[in-house]
Amino acid sequence: MALLDYIEAQKLLLKYSIKSAPAKYVSTPGDAISFANGRRIALKGISNKALHKSKAGLVRLDLVSDTEISKAFSEIKAIASKFAPYKILAQQMSTGGVEIIIGGRIDPQFGKLILIGLGGIYVEAFKDFSLRTCPITRFDAEEMLAELRSGDVITYKGKNRSGMINLLMKTSKMLNDNDWIQELDLNPVIVKPESYDVVDIRVLGD
Amino acid sequence: MTGLDLKPMLKPRSVAIIGASRDPDKVGHVILQNYINAGYSGKIYVVNNKADEIMGIKAYRNIRDIKAGIDLAVIAIPAEFVPDALEDCGKAGVKTTIVVSGGFAEIGKNDLQERLVQVARKYNMPTLGPNCLGVMDPRSRIDTLFLPTYKLSRPSVGGVSFVSQSGAVGSTILDLISSEGFGLSKFISYGNAAHIDEIDVLDYLMHDDETKVVIMYIEGIRRGREFLEAAKRISRVKPVIVLKGGKTAVGMAAARSHTAALAGDAQAYEAVFRQAGFIIADDISELLYYAKIMESEVPPAGNRVAIITNGGGAGVLATDAVGMSGKLKLAELSKKTIGSLAKIMPSLVNVRNPLDVAGDADEKRYGSALSLLMQDGGVDMFLVIALFQTPGADSKLAARLVDLKQKMEKPLVVVSIGAEYTKMHRIIMESGGVPVYDSPVDAVKSLAALYSYYTLRKARSKSNV
Repeated sequence: MALLDYIEAQKLLLKYSIKSAPAKYVSTPGDAISFANGRRIALKGISNKALHKSKAGLVRLDLVSDTEISKAFSEIKAIASKFAPYKILAQQMSTGGVEIIIGGRIDPQFGKLILIGLGGIYVEAFKDFSLRTCPITRFDAEEMLAELRSGDVITYKGKNRSGMINLLMKTSKMLNDNDWIQELDLNPVIVKPESYDVVDIRVLGD
Repeated sequence: MTGLDLKPMLKPRSVAIIGASRDPDKVGHVILQNYINAGYSGKIYVVNNKADEIMGIKAYRNIRDIKAGIDLAVIAIPAEFVPDALEDCGKAGVKTTIVVSGGFAEIGKNDLQERLVQVARKYNMPTLGPNCLGVMDPRSRIDTLFLPTYKLSRPSVGGVSFVSQSGAVGSTILDLISSEGFGLSKFISYGNAAHIDEIDVLDYLMHDDETKVVIMYIEGIRRGREFLEAAKRISRVKPVIVLKGGKTAVGMAAARSHTAALAGDAQAYEAVFRQAGFIIADDISELLYYAKIMESEVPPAGNRVAIITNGGGAGVLATDAVGMSGKLKLAELSKKTIGSLAKIMPSLVNVRNPLDVAGDADEKRYGSALSLLMQDGGVDMFLVIALFQTPGADSKLAARLVDLKQKMEKPLVVVSIGAEYTKMHRIIMESGGVPVYDSPVDAVKSLAALYSYYTLRKARSKSNV
């Protein structure tokens, strides 16, 4: 099982009109600075050998000045060299929303499963998630949100409910269409009252 | 009918017992004895390769010697002889078989089990088991269980069908059902599910008019996606309550993704049950009290509960349970109801919901209160607490509640907490079709399950999923 290249993964999501934060591979601090162009960015070291990027120390968030970006770039490079081959990804920051996880895996008995839950650092702490087999119907997606204790937080008391239902249904279709996907994590997806941004993608497949 | 036809197995006109024995310690002896005890009225044949006669019934050496139509053959002989016996059944034109014997895939003898499946398929002969208790149907008086009736009480006739993979859990629950206030339609213990599996059973029960409610004990499923489809089909027409064994299985160790770490096998099963619209029970007692309410109650119009009690504390506990259920709420009584109640209740009664009719309430006070509340369009279901330790509560109250229940078009459950005297009245009420619970929490959970099942079923049929 291998990790799909980040930019390829973004393209796959886009085919199902799932939006992710704009990102680009950068090979020098100068590349990263010109990608930022004055906006806040994140830098991430990407390697097949370090699937948990944050735990490996390969993520720097909320960088804006040229010096911050250059410093973060060299720090990541130093750590990532232990996980060679690697690439460094620059990504526009998305801030201020609720972090959720949308995921998928293959169950030996029931086939493709889809999951939604409270994400980011809360995944492990609260284990608040709901699960269905793919493909899901609109009714299933509604039920999944209704089952979550954090349902009102994620949907902003219903304001973004239809957005979340659409995101679940698109993800279900993507999982179902692509037999080769073994595991999927969109974690975190930053949800705002009227939109969302996929901020990290992990597609594992054959 | 999409699955295998189980009718000849559950409503057989003739049964052959292969391995019937004179020795009271043998399984084949108990099965034959139970057939006789249960008063089965069809034709019984006995097959034994040594004896000429068992319990006064002529014994045949081989099923092929019988030369008459046989709907069901029950096979209780050592595993290694089963495939040949099954082959003989096929040649004799037997319609269905139950292999009670163990000693197949459950102890690693997959080849022997595979031979059994091949014979069953070759003759298109629905075969239950191996390694199972078989079936029970109190209407057709069929009982293939090899457990003596003095050790395991048999339930009365009713609308609940019970499907169990495990024989031991199955017989334990069956024993408990016999003392619950609901009766049995079918019991099917399918063991290793070599030929007939849970999907065939669900499809059969879905079309079975005698079955109003299905309860299931499951450990594992093989045809996962087909199971989900069968489960969705039956949930649209009747409630299925499921208890899953083996929940402690955790997510995959050293998972590469958060998703795999969160969502292990047990979570996948739960997701499938929810997606199908099953009612999930967490233990044996939940399985039983959900079955009880589902069998006797009509779909509620909404989630507003009226509580009537002759004990203040019990009323408080019930009110708390309604609040915590997250699904039900206390009904707001109409001005008209409140006005009429105030006229007929003694002055010490505070007219509100929960309605505490006071410790001296008798059947007349309960009766007049309930008759008024029944007319209130703002009440969808009733939780009646009847504490029989109080001076006014006796058998007349139990009888009055049964009478009111029969006139009622809304769900009504009773909570009666107590020992021997209470238990006696519980039996009176349950035989009259009133579900009775030991605790307000169990009663509220059951009402909530009833409401959720019918609400989801309606929403599903609307969105056509």
